[in-house]
Amino acid sequence: MADGALFGPVQSARDDLERRTLSTIHGDLARLIYLASTRDYNSGAYHHEGLAARFGLDQAREALQTAHCNVFRRLVSLSLQGLVGELEAYVNTSRETPAGLIHAWRELEPYRVAVPMEMDSTTVQLFLSNIKLALEVLELRQQQRREGQPASSLQPLLGQ
Amino acid sequence: MGGAGMSAFLGVMAVLALGGLVLLGRSRREDRQTRLSYDRDRRIHCAVAAAFRPGELTARIFSREDRDYIRRTGSSALEILYLRERRKVASHWVRQVSEEVGWIMREHRLRSRQSANLSVIAESKLFFYYAELKLLCGLMLVLVRIFGPHALVDLAARAGELYQRIGRSLPDVLAALGSIEPSRNPAA
Repeated sequence: MADGALFGPVQSARDDLERRTLSTIHGDLARLIYLASTRDYNSGAYHHEGLAARFGLDQAREALQTAHCNVFRRLVSLSLQGLVGELEAYVNTSRETPAGLIHAWRELEPYRVAVPMEMDSTTVQLFLSNIKLALEVLELRQQQRREGQPASSLQPLLGQ
Repeated sequence: MGGAGMSAFLGVMAVLALGGLVLLGRSRREDRQTRLSYDRDRRIHCAVAAAFRPGELTARIFSREDRDYIRRTGSSALEILYLRERRKVASHWVRQVSEEVGWIMREHRLRSRQSANLSVIAESKLFFYYAELKLLCGLMLVLVRIFGPHALVDLAARAGELYQRIGRSLPDVLAALGSIEPSRNPAA
């Protein structure tokens, strides 16, 4: 029996989203950015053309919203070291130069719009604060690389 | 001598807790002026927070693991930034716990007025949990500023435990405050 028959169309939409889309994106931070981009800035409603065509508008919306919250919670649960790893993976897969991306993120704080609406304020604060710190750690690494500091000073950070 | 030392210690703790309660009251007044949350948002936040609060979030905020990681970078500027950030988040957590438990108890009080079968023992127990949690929140708010959040792991765990106990004692109140569909609850 298919999952859809067991748990209904929303679960089927979630599975489909996970299988076809999210599993092809590398890293939870990239998934978070992707899921946030499916949300309308003005209404806060999620939309995914393909998913809506297959499962219906509401089901697609709910699947996206749930996935967004789940990915966000996974990121908040990470240690700072884990989050730095996520951020580094995101930076490395981006088309921008690491220095450019870190600079833009520090200045514009675009990650603020990636937060799901349903989260409580402490969780959001922790996430924003951790991203800010992770950016500083990456900036420090960049700086150390530029200054050609001995690898020993980077070792504890790289030893993940 | 031991008795006198204990009395002095308890006195200091009481003063700190009272100071914290004053801070809590002041921050609540400030929040009221700036807060944009509506009743619905409150209910949702409360329910989501209540579902998520057990353990995980508290452990992350007060964790020493992150502090040790930052220390290993060898950057004092980063360490200062980290401590400032964590103090801010920890204080926010304490205020949120205190505020939410206030909503829960207020809702319970309103419901109790219409209830014919109140248990004195259960109500007394609930009141003591509430009083302990409020005092703990006041104390933590002061101690976070003095010692930083990492020294308060056990107090935070105790506060989380009390919050859960109150929530478990009043499932109908929590359900009323958090009337959102289970699928929207990230903990579901």
